[in-house]
Amino acid sequence: MIAPESSSKGANGSGRLGGLSTGSHLLVQAGEYVCALPLVSVRRVVRSLTVHPLPGSAPELEGLAEFGGEPLPVLNLARMVNAAPGANPAYPVTVVVWAGPADAREIMGLAVDAALEVADVPSASVVAGGGGFLLGEAPIAGRVVRVLNLEALGRET
Amino acid sequence: MVEPDVAARVHDPGTPAIPGLPDWANRHTDNALIGLLVVAALTLVGFVLLYFGGGPAWPGFAFLAIGGAGIAAYGALVYPFFRNLERRLPQNEERWAELEGKLVASFEQLGAGDLVRAGEHTSQLPARLSRVSAAASGALSSLAQQIQDSSIEVASAADAVNQVASDLASGSSQQAASVVEITAAMEELARTASQIAENATRQAELASRAEASGESGSEAVFEAVAGVEEVQKRISAIANRADTLGTRSKEIYRVLELINEIAQETHILSLNAAIEAVAAGAEGRRFSVVAEEVRHLAQRSQESVESVRNLLDEFSGSIRATIVATEEGSKEAARVLERSRAAASAIDELRQASGDTSRVARQISMATQQQNAASDEVVMTLREVSLVVQRMTGGLKNLSGTADRLNSLGLTIQLLAQSFHLDSPRSLKHMVEEWGKELERAATSTELEETLDRLVQQTPFIELGYFADTTGYLVALCYNRAAVSGRQQLLTLVSAREIDMTQRPWYRTVSRERRAALTQPYESLQHTGHVFTVAAPVYGHDRTFKGVVGVDINVTGWTRI
Repeated sequence: MIAPESSSKGANGSGRLGGLSTGSHLLVQAGEYVCALPLVSVRRVVRSLTVHPLPGSAPELEGLAEFGGEPLPVLNLARMVNAAPGANPAYPVTVVVWAGPADAREIMGLAVDAALEVADVPSASVVAGGGGFLLGEAPIAGRVVRVLNLEALGRET
Repeated sequence: MVEPDVAARVHDPGTPAIPGLPDWANRHTDNALIGLLVVAALTLVGFVLLYFGGGPAWPGFAFLAIGGAGIAAYGALVYPFFRNLERRLPQNEERWAELEGKLVASFEQLGAGDLVRAGEHTSQLPARLSRVSAAASGALSSLAQQIQDSSIEVASAADAVNQVASDLASGSSQQAASVVEITAAMEELARTASQIAENATRQAELASRAEASGESGSEAVFEAVAGVEEVQKRISAIANRADTLGTRSKEIYRVLELINEIAQETHILSLNAAIEAVAAGAEGRRFSVVAEEVRHLAQRSQESVESVRNLLDEFSGSIRATIVATEEGSKEAARVLERSRAAASAIDELRQASGDTSRVARQISMATQQQNAASDEVVMTLREVSLVVQRMTGGLKNLSGTADRLNSLGLTIQLLAQSFHLDSPRSLKHMVEEWGKELERAATSTELEETLDRLVQQTPFIELGYFADTTGYLVALCYNRAAVSGRQQLLTLVSAREIDMTQRPWYRTVSRERRAALTQPYESLQHTGHVFTVAAPVYGHDRTFKGVVGVDINVTGWTRI
């Protein structure tokens, strides 16, 4: 299971809100939800990678993909936020992110339905959530966005 | 036996005829007296010559000898004859009276038509007279029998002629009615033929016009067929072009897909640029702006591609609809072409049929005109036939009336023939008298009724038999059950006893004359036909008159039998 961590640090000078990072985020479509990933934790957006499933792994882990010559664990973000599966996406993408605390971050892939845009999420607009992986929710351009904390993703994912 | 002329010579001519003698005896007596006078005159002349004559004496002796011989002969021959005749005269008178009585009785029976009893009387006459009388009676009986047979045949023939004439009259009436109906039908047929001729003429004109119209229509249809073929070619060309447009649309779709992929890649690229700009910090801020513009450009490209895709979808839908429409149009054009060709063929056949119809209608018109003329002749002939049939019907009715009269005449002749009492089973009087003899043997009234009933049931043409005693009291009344079958017996023994039989003509005749009697036909009390009565006396064992037996005979049934 994912073990969210409460501690995080801003690497690109973005502000902190109660230990939570704010600023530019990458909005992605995960099932029925729109999720905001801190842009400082995002390394690359690529077309959906070919995933090799791992037998006996957790349901959130789709498998391993090859990225830059290295194996890349790929997680299904929709399952992680408990979103109902949406329609068959036209252009699914894999978002390569830095996950985990700053001192032990590692590269992971998040399989999402689409990468939408880069947007600023004011810290004042974020309604605090559980304080773990789901940092909170914020209204962005007339829609509710789930703000995620990638530093809360544990090593044991 | 003395000759009558010899007796006449000894008879005194001056003496009047002997009363009681027949004329021939009186004539012989007169001749005998004349002969005696001649002999006396010769003897007197002999005496005169002997005593007063001066000549020889032999002439006187000769006259005397002749006279003496004559006197001797008279005394020897004529005188005994007359003496014998005088003795036998009373016996002859009695015999003559007896014979006369029998002869008179025989003629009286003959006059009454009773040939049987007339024969009984003549049988007691001398043999020659009896034979002659019997022969005459037999000839009369045979004649009456033949008349009776002939009258029956005449009546039967008249009845048959009447029946045939009635049937023919009925048939002629029906035939006349049929001829009238046929005449009316023929007149109607003639009128109808005229209408048919007129209609056929109009039909010929219409058919001619229809033929001309058919030719025009055929040309128009051929032109229409050519037009439809051209339309079909145009539709095929449109279909080919629409198909080409569909192929081009698919190529456009592929191009749009490529553009969309490029825009998507550009979108991802812009996002990565924004990521890198953020990673570059303050130095990358300007680059992030460029990345954002690129992302917008990619997004607009995607939106444009989407708009073009939507337009292309509509365009493809229109092309598909056009293809479908052209296919349907092509099929419809093919069907129209096929129908047009069929219509052209039908119009051509119709034109030919109209031509044939026109010719046939003209022939029908001519034929019906001829038929009309023939119908007029048939009507005239039928009217003549009707007149002939009407005359024939009248003639047959007259023939039926004549047959009726002939039948009545035959019946009259039969009744006249039956008025003779013949020794024949076909003589009704003889038959009823035989019945009377059988009834004589009945000891009681019950036996008498049973005997009468048996006799009545054996004779089909008899309706009713009855017996009345000397006081006119009706003792027995028996119906012929076969003859009155199905009809109510109107006259019963009880009701008949209320009739005074002594006043009935048959009873009075039989009681008075004691012989069979026959009445004229009269209306039956039992039904609407006519009957006549034959009655005969009935005697007891001691030959005393016991009563009268009568039978009612149905005229029609008896005639047919």
